[in-house]
Amino acid sequence: MSNELKILLLDDEHIVGKRLKPALEKIGCSVEVFQDPLEAIKRIEEKEFDIVVTDIYMEGMDGMQVLEKVHAKCPKTKIIMITGYAMISLARDAMEKGAFDFIAKPFKPDDLRKIIAKAAEALGSPIDFSASGN
Amino acid sequence: MQGKPGHFSKPSLNRPGFVLFTSHPDGETTINGWIEMETENQQREEKGTDVKNPKTDKESSDFTMKNLYGHMEDIQKAQQTLMARYHFSVRRQIYIGNVVVFLFAALIAVILILNNEQVQTRLEFLEFVNDFSSEIQQARRYEKNYFLYGTNLDDAIENIHLANLIFTKESETFSELQDQVTRQEILKKINAYEALLGELLQNQKADVPLPMNTPHASKEIETRLRGYGQDILASAQSMMTVEKRALERALKRSRDIHIYSIIVLLVILALNSYLLVGRIYSTLNRFASYAQRIASGDFRPILPKRKFRDEFTDLAVAINEMIKEIDTREAVLIQTHKMRAVGTLTAGVAHELNNPLNNIMLTVHMLMEDYHDMPDDERMEMLEDVIKETDRSRKIIRNLLDFARESSSAMESVDLEELLKGTVHLLENQIRLSGISIEIQFTDDLPRIHGDAQKLQQVFVNLLLNAIDASSKGQKIQVMGCLGEKGDSVKVNVVDYGHGIPKHILSSVFDPFFTTKPKGRGTGLGLSVSQGIVAKHGGTIKAKSDKGSGSCFTVILPVITFPEFESFHL
Ligand SMILES: Nc1ncnc2c1ncn2[C@@H]1O[C@H](COP(=O)(O)OP(=O)(O)OP(=O)(O)O)[C@@H](O)[C@H]1O
Ligand SMILES: [Mg+2]
Repeated sequence: MSNELKILLLDDEHIVGKRLKPALEKIGCSVEVFQDPLEAIKRIEEKEFDIVVTDIYMEGMDGMQVLEKVHAKCPKTKIIMITGYAMISLARDAMEKGAFDFIAKPFKPDDLRKIIAKAAEALGSPIDFSASGN
Repeated sequence: MQGKPGHFSKPSLNRPGFVLFTSHPDGETTINGWIEMETENQQREEKGTDVKNPKTDKESSDFTMKNLYGHMEDIQKAQQTLMARYHFSVRRQIYIGNVVVFLFAALIAVILILNNEQVQTRLEFLEFVNDFSSEIQQARRYEKNYFLYGTNLDDAIENIHLANLIFTKESETFSELQDQVTRQEILKKINAYEALLGELLQNQKADVPLPMNTPHASKEIETRLRGYGQDILASAQSMMTVEKRALERALKRSRDIHIYSIIVLLVILALNSYLLVGRIYSTLNRFASYAQRIASGDFRPILPKRKFRDEFTDLAVAINEMIKEIDTREAVLIQTHKMRAVGTLTAGVAHELNNPLNNIMLTVHMLMEDYHDMPDDERMEMLEDVIKETDRSRKIIRNLLDFARESSSAMESVDLEELLKGTVHLLENQIRLSGISIEIQFTDDLPRIHGDAQKLQQVFVNLLLNAIDASSKGQKIQVMGCLGEKGDSVKVNVVDYGHGIPKHILSSVFDPFFTTKPKGRGTGLGLSVSQGIVAKHGGTIKAKSDKGSGSCFTVILPVITFPEFESFHL
């Protein structure tokens, strides 16, 4: 599938990647999961992703820095921020800086799928959301 | 004293619920006994006049503080025992002193009056003896004339009669001054003298020739008369000398009484004022030191020590009442500030809690979605993840709840390293949110200290929150623990590399309500409350800072809170 969405998922909680990878693959995306932001950045330098989903808070580097890096590398890439509920104001900042959307923890897999579907639409390659099996 | 601090401190260090603070004195007689001796000795040095009361002393060891805060029952008990004692006021002491002086003065006055009376009688007696002897002398002169010239016999008789009258009359009045034998003798001689003169008169009336004409017969009478006359005069003379001596003695006595009574009076007055001043002065001094200790945060009540109560007891009762009030307020203040810190920490906890919740949410949803297409072991794995994440949530909350819980504030043996690790753990989310890193370094084998773990944790939470506030992203905070200089304390440094504290406000950071933070962010009570708590542990807290290069707050806690063992007494 050439129009398969390439997604990079960055969150320092390993369970997030472990669960979301199959969940997103089910709607026809190819997902690469990272826990370490530095490794993720390295990968971003190498490969162009359609969508980057990143947590705002991480050890070492935060989501805002990732956002800047991605924008610098590939302005087309849609960036979705994962935030804690308490950090809505930070998420707004991120939006101003050009993030596509944000999603607050805790969320359901479907919440993220919806946002990704929206992003796919914005990218001009809509995905069939119903493929999720619901 | 066999209970050396060294012997005493070591074994008790590792014992939780340290015996001194149990309310059952019978349980641990040795250590309680040791304290009693300690306070007793110190008490004796302080005030010699204090009377020991073994009973109240035993009670006082009951009072040794069990907790840092909330001595309500102790205070109530102390108040009652303070007031139940015999009342011996300063006013009464002044009254008694005055009465003693007055009674002594009155006694002296009576003695002096009696002595004066004696002097008076002796003077009168001397006068009488004088009169008497002059009459006798007169009589003898006339008698001589009669023998020479045959004249004046009547006058001689009259004089001797007068002398006789004076003697009989006056000697009645002075009977106690003369001895009766001499008196009788003198009387006899006067009578004999008078009788002889009477005989001469008889002879004259019977025209017996005048004495100078009848030398023989009259010679004999003359010799006898002279004999009597001389005897009487000699007696009078000796009476006079005896009396004079007695008079001198009486006068000397009077003078001595004056001098000695003044000396004794001065001594009584000096003693009275010495006792009074000693009592007032030493008690005032003691109150001054109590006030200082109360100011430094030692809120234990003043306990009964003396056998009596007085005006100072009323003051002590009032101070106890005040202590009660301050103690309650401080406890409330500490709790209030703690709740603020809890509020700050809650934001971090709420954020941190989102992670496990999110993990659970994702896992459970995926489990539901794919339940039927999943091998059993994968389902098991997912369920295990749910359990793990639930457990993680519980831990995150429990830490905060433990801290927030209104503690019973019990004294226990505390490992500061453990305490600080727990504290850092509690603040972890906060630290992570601020993008700050934290390091803990403790030297090995630090002795445990004795304290209230909950309250001490609050101190370090305050210090760390301040450090977090002062630091910016990417900076680090260091917590370092080591033994104090003398080895009898543990030192904990909380170091940050934040904006620091300008010199001119460094001295006021411990003041209550001093804050540089915007309204609603800081109350300015954190350091003040912390200082209060540390002081209660017999420790100190110090700040060092250079503007721009960070700050270092040092908490020094004694391994054994020794000064706490001395109680207030009155
Ligand atoms: N580590 C530090 N670095 C720089 N300044 C500090 C530090 N610790 C304390 N201060 C200064 O001391 C002041 C008083 O601190 P304190 O903890 O008593 O109150 P606060 O932190 O302002 O209020 P609260 O503790 O109630 O939040 C602070 O406002 C701050 O200016
Ligand atoms: Mg503070």
